[in-house]
Amino acid sequence: MKGWRPSPPLLLLLPAVIVLAAVVVLPLLLSLYSSFTPFRLTKPETLWVFIGARNYVNILTNRDFWIAFARTVVLLTVALNLEMLIGLGLALLVEKASRGQRVLRTIMMFPMMFSPILVGFQFKFMFNDNIGLVNNALQALGLTDRAIPWLIDGNLAFIAILTAEIWSSTSVFAILILAGLLAMPREPVEAARVDGCTPWQTFRYVTWPFIMPFAFIAMTIRSLDVARAYDIVKIMTDGGPAGRTELVWTLVARTAYSDARMGLANAMAYFSILLSILFTVYFYRKLAAARTQIAAEW
Amino acid sequence: MDQNSLHRVRNKALGIAHGVGLFLAMLVICLPGIWIVLSSLRPTVEIMAKPPVWIPQHLSLDAYVAMFSGVGKGGIPVLDYFRNSLIISVTSTVIAIAIGMAGGYAFARYRFRAKSAMFLGLMLTRTVPGIALSLPLFFVFARLGIIDTHFGLILVYVALNVPFTIWLIDGFFRQVPKDLAEAAQIDGCTRWQAFWQVEFPLAGPGIASAGIFAFLTSWNEFALASQLTRSINSKTLPVGLLDYTAEFTIDWRGMCALAVVMIIPALTLTFIVQKHLVGGLTSGAVKG
Repeated sequence: MKGWRPSPPLLLLLPAVIVLAAVVVLPLLLSLYSSFTPFRLTKPETLWVFIGARNYVNILTNRDFWIAFARTVVLLTVALNLEMLIGLGLALLVEKASRGQRVLRTIMMFPMMFSPILVGFQFKFMFNDNIGLVNNALQALGLTDRAIPWLIDGNLAFIAILTAEIWSSTSVFAILILAGLLAMPREPVEAARVDGCTPWQTFRYVTWPFIMPFAFIAMTIRSLDVARAYDIVKIMTDGGPAGRTELVWTLVARTAYSDARMGLANAMAYFSILLSILFTVYFYRKLAAARTQIAAEW
Repeated sequence: MDQNSLHRVRNKALGIAHGVGLFLAMLVICLPGIWIVLSSLRPTVEIMAKPPVWIPQHLSLDAYVAMFSGVGKGGIPVLDYFRNSLIISVTSTVIAIAIGMAGGYAFARYRFRAKSAMFLGLMLTRTVPGIALSLPLFFVFARLGIIDTHFGLILVYVALNVPFTIWLIDGFFRQVPKDLAEAAQIDGCTRWQAFWQVEFPLAGPGIASAGIFAFLTSWNEFALASQLTRSINSKTLPVGLLDYTAEFTIDWRGMCALAVVMIIPALTLTFIVQKHLVGGLTSGAVKG
């Protein structure tokens, strides 16, 4: 091996690759293998029984799984879109502010510091049907005379979870889009105004294309971590009532740890991994496209 | 009314609407946090009161006193949790930053084959949901006997933080002009010296904020920690929060107090780095 020297970037990346291989890739290969066995934690010998794709067949024919899967996709789609819109609105509001922008920006980052589990817990507290802030306020304002069962009714619980999710993640969008707005050169906007564009046209054809890459960075960052909704749901409803807020992730946790059916849970987990990867790759490609577009125009 | 004053009135109205909108948005952002702090200071009777008591009548630090007074007296081993959280977060952050600096430097300064595929590959390891990763890790760690140890969680958090740290640090190194290091090398520095004397100090603030981001991730993580910890040996604060929930009841006041304890370090750190954090995330986008 004398005379062969590994290239510097390879050497520099080696520690990262080793750690990720040991802690993420290898365990995932193990879980891929065990998804083809009827593995139960209580019966270690079942790890060596090979049953082919039976777990996957079980899942694909399981109605509850598909409902949870669809609910997860709906939750993510609605949440990401709303976060994007609200984040954009918030960024525009703050950008227009003439004074105290620093303070406003700091306040805007506030929800980012909250651990997802804390978000779950604080919204569980606020949406509590008996002592929660939301119901208390609604009753005090006379909008309703009975307690609304926020976390007990399936649809309302979904709304409550959505609210928590949006509250915790909108700031990522708002902050990055604001960074885009602040980095934007003034001239194109002024030129558009001089040329007689309406404010809407100016926004749509001048501002928006410019801040789009920033929105996609936010989307990519968010999609890296979509599964943190697990923490929120776990605390707020734990998939209840009667499985009506069950997401893929809570279903995996329940199957693995409560029912101890590791093999089946691993098979389910692979679907959730696939979902995350799809989201990330999609936004990453959008981001790459937006980047090259910006680079070409500048 | 002539055109001019009509215009002025309209502008004024728009300004007021903008102010009101801004105020409402900030209120919604702040309210949950304020409510938690407030609830941690109120007696349980007041929290549970029907009809609700809006103006706090008795403020006290009882919840905090109870929390720190130890197990059995209505407290939880919060100091142990705090210590565990601190040890695990700090150690994993330091290691993740060291690894991330090497990786980020490689991405920012070298061209090599399959660069963008490599970058995407590293990012994808981050997308694996914690709960999905916890299943095989639980099994492997149980076999290795490192469940419920600091070492186990540190290992996991390093892996969790490395991809994002590389992304951030890559961005910060790109902001440092290449010419500076080259000039230093022409003046007789080795590449190693040029890195530590020139590039590292310039990228320093950015690296610090990447570190704080990694710290916050570890500090706040729950899905993995809840499965890989068992006792006060390694339980972290987010897991400890569940100590306040019993089968059907929740000690809201105690939980709020613990939440405040959890949020204060995170709050302080984020304020310190907020400016650099945004810069690091966006630099890659503008410069491509």
